[in-house]
Amino acid sequence: MSQAVISSMGMVSAIGNSCSDALKALKEGRSGIEPLRFLQTAHCEFPVGEVKMSNEQMCSLLGIPQDAVTTRTSLMGMLAVKEALQEIDLQEKGKRIALISGTTVGGMDKSEQYYLDFLSNDNRNAYISTHDCGACSEMIADYFGIFTFVNSISTACSSAANAILLGAELIKSGRVDMVVAGGSECLTKFHLNGFNTLMILDKEPCRPFDASRAGLNLGEGAAYVVIESAESADKRGIEPLCVLKGYGNACDAYHQTASSPDGNGAFLAMKQALANAKLQPEDIDYINAHGTGTQNNDLSEGRAIERVFGDNIPPISSTKSFTGHTTSAAGGVEAVISILALRENFIPLNLNFSKSMPELSFTPSVDMETKKPLTNILSNSFGFGGNDTSLIFSKL
Amino acid sequence: MASNVYIKAVKQISAQQPLCEEWLEHPITYTEPYIGSVEPDYKLFFAPNEARRLGKILRRALLVSRQTMKETDIHNPEAIITGTGLGCIENTEFFLKDLVNEGEELLKPTYFMQSTHNTISSLIAIDAKCNGYNTTYSNKGISFECALLDAFLQMNGGKLHSALVGAYDEMTPDYFTLLKRAGYLGKEGLCFAGETSVGMMLVDNSPQTALCRVENVEICYGKPDWEYLKQCLNFESVDAVMTGLNGEAANDGIYNRECAKWFPQKPLLHYKHLFGESYTSPAFAVYASAICLSRQYIPQHLFAKPETAFKDREIKRILCYNSFENRNHSFIILSICGR
Repeated sequence: MSQAVISSMGMVSAIGNSCSDALKALKEGRSGIEPLRFLQTAHCEFPVGEVKMSNEQMCSLLGIPQDAVTTRTSLMGMLAVKEALQEIDLQEKGKRIALISGTTVGGMDKSEQYYLDFLSNDNRNAYISTHDCGACSEMIADYFGIFTFVNSISTACSSAANAILLGAELIKSGRVDMVVAGGSECLTKFHLNGFNTLMILDKEPCRPFDASRAGLNLGEGAAYVVIESAESADKRGIEPLCVLKGYGNACDAYHQTASSPDGNGAFLAMKQALANAKLQPEDIDYINAHGTGTQNNDLSEGRAIERVFGDNIPPISSTKSFTGHTTSAAGGVEAVISILALRENFIPLNLNFSKSMPELSFTPSVDMETKKPLTNILSNSFGFGGNDTSLIFSKL
Repeated sequence: MASNVYIKAVKQISAQQPLCEEWLEHPITYTEPYIGSVEPDYKLFFAPNEARRLGKILRRALLVSRQTMKETDIHNPEAIITGTGLGCIENTEFFLKDLVNEGEELLKPTYFMQSTHNTISSLIAIDAKCNGYNTTYSNKGISFECALLDAFLQMNGGKLHSALVGAYDEMTPDYFTLLKRAGYLGKEGLCFAGETSVGMMLVDNSPQTALCRVENVEICYGKPDWEYLKQCLNFESVDAVMTGLNGEAANDGIYNRECAKWFPQKPLLHYKHLFGESYTSPAFAVYASAICLSRQYIPQHLFAKPETAFKDREIKRILCYNSFENRNHSFIILSICGR
């Protein structure tokens, strides 16, 4: 069976409109979490990781008319996919290329704005059809016009990670030549309010794995990786960025919106990813944690990490302290950050950490220096309903 | 060597009699544009209050899943994979309406907690205590096929030995109005807008007790590569084509044109007159075909043209062909199990 490699990537997030901007922010320790600028909501007390562009600016960058029917999720997705594809010859005939995109919010930004029109008049009909997850992926696909298979995954905050997992499976099955996989999710009043009703939003910058953590900061963004077989990359004469060495998907099967105390789903997802990659826990050099900054997640994930890694816990950080929790896009955003770390050999910081959690044996990383070169990175993405997925990115 | 994939059991709740195959002999016909499901008596299956706490899509999904697991005696499938076009749209609407009408201060968490698409797959996993692979596809009119493809690939590759694959969509009066405005439902000639709840157990063994085999699943975006599909899926030896004919002129034109070209002489079957139109209604194509293959009988009313009906002839292979707005296409080959 062929190895799945990642040959390029693209990202827009609170820490920049490209992968290189994000790298700079990560190395400078500069967070993108700031007061609200673009989302129109009564809850401006919550800091967020917004993409620092209006929809109009994104349309201009993409060469799309300002009055075109789009959603913020699809615009961000187009920008990230465009960056991921920029060095690929798209004109190659007969190539089977898949787009697999994770989203949950989809076109909710327009639905919440125009819902009363939807119900009472014909003024905004075009946006009814852009509400669902599939519409978002198809708008992205149609911008490029090269995709022979389009699929959308919606497993809440692990959506993009599951998209990458499926992408690898499709490549290994030989059914497609190339996969663009990841996710996109814009901020909406709908889920900002939803998370607020669950009382898991922090009015201060989030503090993952800190004893004083008091919730998450929502973020938005889009991130995609290009997956192909090692042979395909070789044939194109390019050196891949890394290997997608392993992955695991498990269900916590505990509660719709809370993780189990012992992090069973997280434990199983990490174990499976290691087995799938044929690696031992000690082979992992860095963990990019799900680390939302909520009481529940960080304790549950921390326990699961202790169960998998025992006394030998590698450096860990949650980069949600930079980007905010980009929900369905998080698996893509953190895949890109993990690959940047792997390539540039640094441990992304866990910002805002000051006091260790008494329940856990480890503290998150506050130092970018690595003791040894990074070879294997584990990235966790956990969603509502206990949809837990772990990915392992490895040097070639 | 690749493993074979079989459908061991399928259960449904729809506009037809629930949890049975009464539609074979006594199909219910409708003339209204929007029809809710014929609900089973939940009291027979759920503890008091259990069903009431759940939205209608969740209670249907839970019941067909439990029944499918019970019938196959597989209580802990290795995977739960769900397709849904709109997810828990009723709860989404409740939360959205409160947000739009009441503002951002007095919202309650319950509807939000059960509004995400993956609430369905998660609920089934929580109920059955399944820690295995769990995922949800939401991709308009091919959401179910994406779920089936995932299960098929993993089982074919030997990674999975059992998978509960489901297709669920609910409809609300308001959302029917919206999708009518958007030009998807309620069009002239179009069959009724329905709801989908289908659960099926896929296994890689025991063909002697399975309903049928899933030979292959192909999905494409844009124009299908027909020559490739013809060869790869062996159109020649197909006994009938289960189509998404739904009475609406533009939709049926596509099926009639493509089928005349690629499946000349093959009888065309349909199912949407029974189960209605919904994003995941193609799950009923697989359900009805699996039942016909296992019983070696296709009722007259499933033939799109009565004069093409046949009986007393072995039915070996059925192709389920779905074209969603001529943009997404899926091809599923079901065949009798090698006994």
